[in-house]
Amino acid sequence: MTSSIENKIGYLLAESNKEAIELVFIHYGSLLLNVINRVLRDDAMSEDVLQSVLLKIWQNGHNFDPAKGALFTWLVRVSKNAAIDKTRTKDYRLTQESKNGVEVVSIAESIAGDDDMESLYAKQLIAQLPEEQRMLINMSFFEGYTHKEICARLDMPLGTVKTKIRTAIKHLRTII
Amino acid sequence: MDIQEYIASGILEAYLAGELTAAEMREVDRVADNYNEVRIELDSLRESLIKYGDVESKAPDEKILEGALDAITEIEKQKFLNVLNDEPEIKIKRVNIVPVWTIAASILLFISLGFNYLFYAQFKSTKDQLASLESNQTSLANRVSDSNQQLQYAELRIAHLMSEDNIHIKMDGLDLAPEAFANVFWNKKSNSVFISVDNLPDPPHGHQYQLWAIKPGLAPIDAGIFDHSQLVQELKVIKGEVVAFAVTLEVEGGSPIATVDKTFVKGFLKKS
Repeated sequence: MTSSIENKIGYLLAESNKEAIELVFIHYGSLLLNVINRVLRDDAMSEDVLQSVLLKIWQNGHNFDPAKGALFTWLVRVSKNAAIDKTRTKDYRLTQESKNGVEVVSIAESIAGDDDMESLYAKQLIAQLPEEQRMLINMSFFEGYTHKEICARLDMPLGTVKTKIRTAIKHLRTII
Repeated sequence: MDIQEYIASGILEAYLAGELTAAEMREVDRVADNYNEVRIELDSLRESLIKYGDVESKAPDEKILEGALDAITEIEKQKFLNVLNDEPEIKIKRVNIVPVWTIAASILLFISLGFNYLFYAQFKSTKDQLASLESNQTSLANRVSDSNQQLQYAELRIAHLMSEDNIHIKMDGLDLAPEAFANVFWNKKSNSVFISVDNLPDPPHGHQYQLWAIKPGLAPIDAGIFDHSQLVQELKVIKGEVVAFAVTLEVEGGSPIATVDKTFVKGFLKKS
């Protein structure tokens, strides 16, 4: 049994329909960017790779076989492979050298530009989340940190990190 | 398997965070396929996170999607152009199919036209031959008819000649037509007079030959006008003592008085 959105994307990919890419971007874009960033640790470069991943997904959509796993699993594999391929490029090495070993913490600050009333309301709701829970969600699902990296950064045991992340998401789901 | 415990283990969050290996992810997929609760939980988690990302501006920039779609459009355009470049071959094939019928139809049309012309020419020739044959037949029929008439005249003249009741008078040409001659048969019983127009020149227009019976001391007696074209004709009944017959040229319709100086032929009865 698969979710309806996965089924729809699966059908669209089989016929090389561009709409499949739009749906992947809307429903999985954040998570895939996170997966890529876990490897590259570079927001701009990760975005470039995500764009190339979307193109690969469209071109190789016929290779996706639901019998071998869910769509998301396939998307994650394609994204990870693309990110790993990127680490082998000269472009990536030069970027790493310029960072000179300094750890870059790229927690993007949210700048509300053209938010409408609904998203402003949602933003207020999410603001109810404790700062630590928001940080854990951001790091784990949007900023590419592995659980181990989070442990090291927040100086917490792995089990605690996992529990706190799960609690944060449960809290989030009660809000939205 | 205790599903609630499985869900509570945090493995689904790890799944969505990309924390799991490929094998571990496939295992989650397998469990989700078997347990609908897990599938629902997974979808719900993902949707919550996507919504959070949108609100918190954590979602990837729309330009990434636009860039990918532009690249796809470019690829599709190239594919389309490649198809267009291949098009001539297809066109040639299509063109090849149509002319087979056109050429075949044209050949049949020309053959048909050829046969039409041939048959028309033959028909016209046959029609001309038929018209010619009909004309010949008419001509032959006319000749047969003429021959029959001449035969009848000949038979009639022989009959008159052979008849013992007839007196035969041969009229010879005079100065006007020395070559001319004609014969008269005068029946002694019925007193009927027959003329045989043997050789008389064609009368001028508006004129006609007239036979006269000549009795001693009397003016010539009208024995009837006759048609120059008919060989043997029965004329008037003449009685009494006739010594000679003569033919004069008169105006059409005849004359009561003979124009003696226009006498063409004349013959005397033999004295018995």
